[in-house]
Amino acid sequence: MTPAPLGLRDRIREIADLLARLLLMFVTGLGISLALGGIVLLLAGPAAAATADDDTVQQGTLLFAGADGGDPLAAPLLHTDVSIRVSGPIVRTTVVQRFRNPAGDWREGSYVFPLPETAAVQRMRIRVADRLIEGEIQERAQAQATYEKAKAEGKHTALVSQQRPNIFTTRVANIGPRDEVLVEIEYQHRLPYYVVDGVGRYSLRFPMVVAPRYIPGRPVADEESGAIGATDVVPDAAAILPPMLLPDERGPIINPVSLNVYLDAGAPIATVDSPFHRIRVDTLKPAVRRIRLSEGRTPANRDFVLNWTLASGAAPHATLFVEPAAARDHALLMLMPPAASRVARRLPREVVFIIDTSGSMEGTSIVQAREALALALERLDAEDRFNVIEFNSEPFALFDAAQPASRANLSRATHWVRHLRARGGTEMAGALALALDGGRSAERVRQVIFLTDGAVGNEAQLFGLIQQRLGDTRLFTVGIGSAPNSHFMRKAAQAGRGSFTYIGQVGEVAARMGELFARLESPVLKNLSIVWPAGAAADATPDPLPDLYLGEPVVVAAALAHGARGELQIRGDAGDIRWTSSLSLAEAHPGEGIGALWARDKIERLMDALSEGAAEDAIRPQVLALALEHRLLSRYTSFVAVDKTPARSADARLKSGAVPSALPAGWSPAGVFGELPQGATDARWHALIGLIALAAFGLARTRLRFTSLEA
Amino acid sequence: MNASCNDCKHLEFLGVECAWPAAACRPAAPVRRPRRIQRVFQLAAAAFLLIAVWQFGQAGYIHAKAWLAQHLISEAWSRTLAGETQVKPWAWADTWPVARLRVPGRDVERYVLAGSNGRTIAFGPGHVFGTAEPGMPGNSVIGAHRDTHFAFLQWLDDGELIELETPTGQVHSYRVTQRAVVDKHDTRVLAAHPGERRLTLVTCYPFDALRAGGPLRYVVTAERVPDRLPSPLLHAAL
Repeated sequence: MTPAPLGLRDRIREIADLLARLLLMFVTGLGISLALGGIVLLLAGPAAAATADDDTVQQGTLLFAGADGGDPLAAPLLHTDVSIRVSGPIVRTTVVQRFRNPAGDWREGSYVFPLPETAAVQRMRIRVADRLIEGEIQERAQAQATYEKAKAEGKHTALVSQQRPNIFTTRVANIGPRDEVLVEIEYQHRLPYYVVDGVGRYSLRFPMVVAPRYIPGRPVADEESGAIGATDVVPDAAAILPPMLLPDERGPIINPVSLNVYLDAGAPIATVDSPFHRIRVDTLKPAVRRIRLSEGRTPANRDFVLNWTLASGAAPHATLFVEPAAARDHALLMLMPPAASRVARRLPREVVFIIDTSGSMEGTSIVQAREALALALERLDAEDRFNVIEFNSEPFALFDAAQPASRANLSRATHWVRHLRARGGTEMAGALALALDGGRSAERVRQVIFLTDGAVGNEAQLFGLIQQRLGDTRLFTVGIGSAPNSHFMRKAAQAGRGSFTYIGQVGEVAARMGELFARLESPVLKNLSIVWPAGAAADATPDPLPDLYLGEPVVVAAALAHGARGELQIRGDAGDIRWTSSLSLAEAHPGEGIGALWARDKIERLMDALSEGAAEDAIRPQVLALALEHRLLSRYTSFVAVDKTPARSADARLKSGAVPSALPAGWSPAGVFGELPQGATDARWHALIGLIALAAFGLARTRLRFTSLEA
Repeated sequence: MNASCNDCKHLEFLGVECAWPAAACRPAAPVRRPRRIQRVFQLAAAAFLLIAVWQFGQAGYIHAKAWLAQHLISEAWSRTLAGETQVKPWAWADTWPVARLRVPGRDVERYVLAGSNGRTIAFGPGHVFGTAEPGMPGNSVIGAHRDTHFAFLQWLDDGELIELETPTGQVHSYRVTQRAVVDKHDTRVLAAHPGERRLTLVTCYPFDALRAGGPLRYVVTAERVPDRLPSPLLHAAL
């Protein structure tokens, strides 16, 4: 018996039948799954959570690098060597970032790092094997394109860009298997300088920590209320962040920094100290020291600070540097006004303290702030008036209006301050609005002292508020914590025509607050102005000059007509005394890199104008021209270096990885820089497997039919 | 012809000599075999059917969850617009709607949830914690699955309008300015620059990949379109 030959019609019917069955199966499957999904979603609460937990892995999550137990070796390793050369008030620093690829394939590394907020980054080059490749300054987008092209061509290449005035990123592509690429960054900046009790005092700060607030992923504040919602953010952040990558917990230092300072103070040095790191100091000459870290290497988790004081009587009273150039000369002037404190009449002060009690101040920061505030209250005179405002999600003032600093009021304030707790959001605007009344009066000296870590995102809005409501009040910011947002606080103090004080640890509170108060209690030098010699066509910055407090020098950078000569005059009012000082341009010391410092200041001023609401179209070309002329890194320019010969062959794949770095307060950068949300499900995969299974089912059925037909 | 041809008991009979062996000489096996094979095929068919239903169930569950949840969230969103805060779309939810995303040109409407972990974005696009709140100055980053809520991203073109409704009921418009494929570690897209108002939509890439967990992300960047000022005509009318 032979199987009956199937006619064409039969065969078509057979196939149609099969297809119909497949469709039916698919629809049934889908229907069942929809019903299942609905039931699970609507009814089975805890069960849904459990299922969802499993799904997390399959469907992908916003996984932060490291949270998935990622191999730390997968990221390029980085060593940073810093050599700092101080000559008088100017510092030239070379940072060498040594990117090492521990893996057996080609890699791209990226690293986010801070530099001093006034740093003028002038040079970048990369070192591959024994070759040095000089970086070029290019317009940002163009530099990016140059980098991407070189990266695709397999050439060694590096790109350094500025993210914020004090936050920079390096990207290095095509690091060979177990190979090393060195990126050298050179910058210059000016040192803050004070004279306290006739002793000149310098402070150098090398930031090593990118504080979490600067990192994408920190809150950007609500424009209307200024609220940051730290309470919304922090609990979740804790859940999604991987365990801290603290070096002492993990063994080896993950991103070690070695540091060398050659300090030529220009005058005999009395003391040198570093509050946060143990250092070894070699005395080479009375005015020259060499400073190294005692441990040789330190994890990059705390800013390096070096303070030195000059021998008594050695404080320079005037320093003028001029750097001649083809088109324009550049000058840098630092001048210490004569102490006029003995003569001037001391006006009673009205002091308003603002203390940040937001969640970010939790821990030692709030302790420091309370300590500082208690000290400050002690220093008030009986004829002074004061008030204290605390703020977190909402501002709260101790008194409705400023009260005399009587014993009773002070003890009430001290008691109140001692019981302040850190919690809630950071609504700075409300507190500032409360403290700044916009009034003006010749009969008072009104000072607002603002203690905060500056963890806010709505900086521009706050600067605007300060300028608007300042009146004749002066705003002094005091930075608290291991890595305060010094950019914000320096700018806020500038907008408030005051100064910024940084307190790094509890032990420093008394000394720093003492200095600040000594300055605040002394009469102010107001209405400062500089008269440049005729024909100098000076373009000076800052303009206008800020008020000066005791021990603060006038610091001015200027571009002058080439070969300008003559005398410049500085004038100011100290109480009832008008004070004048003059200097001859001919007596200036030759300086190096003064032009870059001037350009950096000028760019900063333009960027300030931008944050105050100037049109970007107007600012951008000016900044771009300055940055390109002086070869400076800026928001619109980046350094890019490209090796000529390709290193990676076209068929070798390039992998990318970010260098993890240590962060303060237990924040891991791997966690903060993180990964992008993962947006895919395995739905298609399941559907495919389902289809294959269905096809197999269909096949099995068909075979079944054939065998039974045979039978 | 051989004599043993039809005699199966013959010594020389090998079973293959004749074209038509006698019925008695035919082996019994051909009668039994189809039944055994049938059993195997039946079992296999049943197993395959089970797998198919299970797998379609899985796929369907993912889509059903994505689809049903958005309906529940729409309720929560209208309550949010009415003034409530952090309205949980269902009792045990650990998220709440923070915005409504619309692409008028493509008839797309999605409710954005707070947080972008895997559990959340199974139900709807998730706003990445710590980036600017949707509609606020800064860079708001929203992530979702490429095969459910953000499947439409693959067809989105430069210049298209995206509307974002905030919990206060304001509607902000954004215009797509850039589309890029980046590595998942390339967090520069999360960065915010001062003064900008940006919406960044992130999903997995490639769109037609079968499995989740690839290293690439598709990033759509849209810049805020300044809120439309009242037209001079309107002024004239007033």
